[in-house]
Amino acid sequence: MKLFVSDGNPHCVKVLAVLRYTGVTCDVEHVNHDERVVPYLSCPALPALLLPSGTYLFRPNSICRYLIELNGQESSDIVNQWLEWEATELQPALMQALHMVVLQGKGAETTRLLQGPLSYLDQSLSKRTTLFLTAEMVSVADVVLWAALYPILSDSSLTELQHWFERVGVLAACESAAQTALQGKGLKSESLKSYLQRQPAPHHGQGQVQGRGTQPCN
Amino acid sequence: MSLKELSSLEKALGLKKPNKYSTQGDRKVPVLQSINGPALVGLVTIATHLVQEAKRPELLGGSAEHKAVVQQWLEYRVTKVDGCHKEDIKTILKDLNSYLEDKVYLAGNQFTLADTLMYYGIHHVIVDLAVQEKEKYMNMTRWFDHVQHYPGVRHHLPPVVVLRNRVYTSGHH
Repeated sequence: MKLFVSDGNPHCVKVLAVLRYTGVTCDVEHVNHDERVVPYLSCPALPALLLPSGTYLFRPNSICRYLIELNGQESSDIVNQWLEWEATELQPALMQALHMVVLQGKGAETTRLLQGPLSYLDQSLSKRTTLFLTAEMVSVADVVLWAALYPILSDSSLTELQHWFERVGVLAACESAAQTALQGKGLKSESLKSYLQRQPAPHHGQGQVQGRGTQPCN
Repeated sequence: MSLKELSSLEKALGLKKPNKYSTQGDRKVPVLQSINGPALVGLVTIATHLVQEAKRPELLGGSAEHKAVVQQWLEYRVTKVDGCHKEDIKTILKDLNSYLEDKVYLAGNQFTLADTLMYYGIHHVIVDLAVQEKEKYMNMTRWFDHVQHYPGVRHHLPPVVVLRNRVYTSGHH
């Protein structure tokens, strides 16, 4: 098995943390952001996991779930729900926020963009009765959400969220993944900046077509 | 939109008692109400749950690897296909077309939930494709036609005509 990652890509923090956490044996290769690893995709998709059969997995949360399941931990409904929420609700807001704060220096905008998803997560954390998001032990949902929020959550005023974030962040797996992919620096990471510069500019608002920051790939 | 999908999926799975659904947020994310537990939120989460409820685990993939491939295309459906912008549609069609070059279904030779949900999610695009475009994305069109004829899948959607013989003999790009 071989995992392809690129520095500065927050999705790579997810898969590196889960890989370290599970202890699954796998080669890790660092490639450039624009390397087309998956042969049938026209845009570069990283991280990507090459399985021994020659199959590629290229969606970050599916890679994380696969690694955890190899370790014998089946994903429950609640874990699935958090992974889907992360991919469909949190990510679009997060990409916009990162783009604005890192590339345009508009730090104040992030609060407005992220208020909805962050307070939803904070409320869900205060209602739960378990130590982590879905259970008494860390699940793939904790690691994925932690890694997604790593760049922006160093100074949150939402206390439940902050406590949970710190509890997951002390795991050696998380710490080393953030170190590897983002040099342990959140928003200040140079590699995060160069990753974002290569991403298409996020669309603002829903259903509105906006110009793209980079060339559409063929 | 996604509520219709879930109700079609319930029928395809042969679930007798229809579940109660609502939606939340601007994106109208589906919510499955439950009597004996917390509500479930999200299309893929609910669809996966329904498949388990119907005791049809093969639809989620047989081996660990197949399971991952199914999950991956479900994740692709809700992150890439849903709400995609006009200029991204061609990329999606092109990528699916090259991926499906040597496959019958998204997870290989076995029909899974990924095929059903991808079919529901991409139907509105395929309906509007011209004959030439359907031929250009030949593998994707063949897959689409297989899925729309798979027993019990189509339900709430009209059939899309797919010509089995090529009209335009030389592919011009």
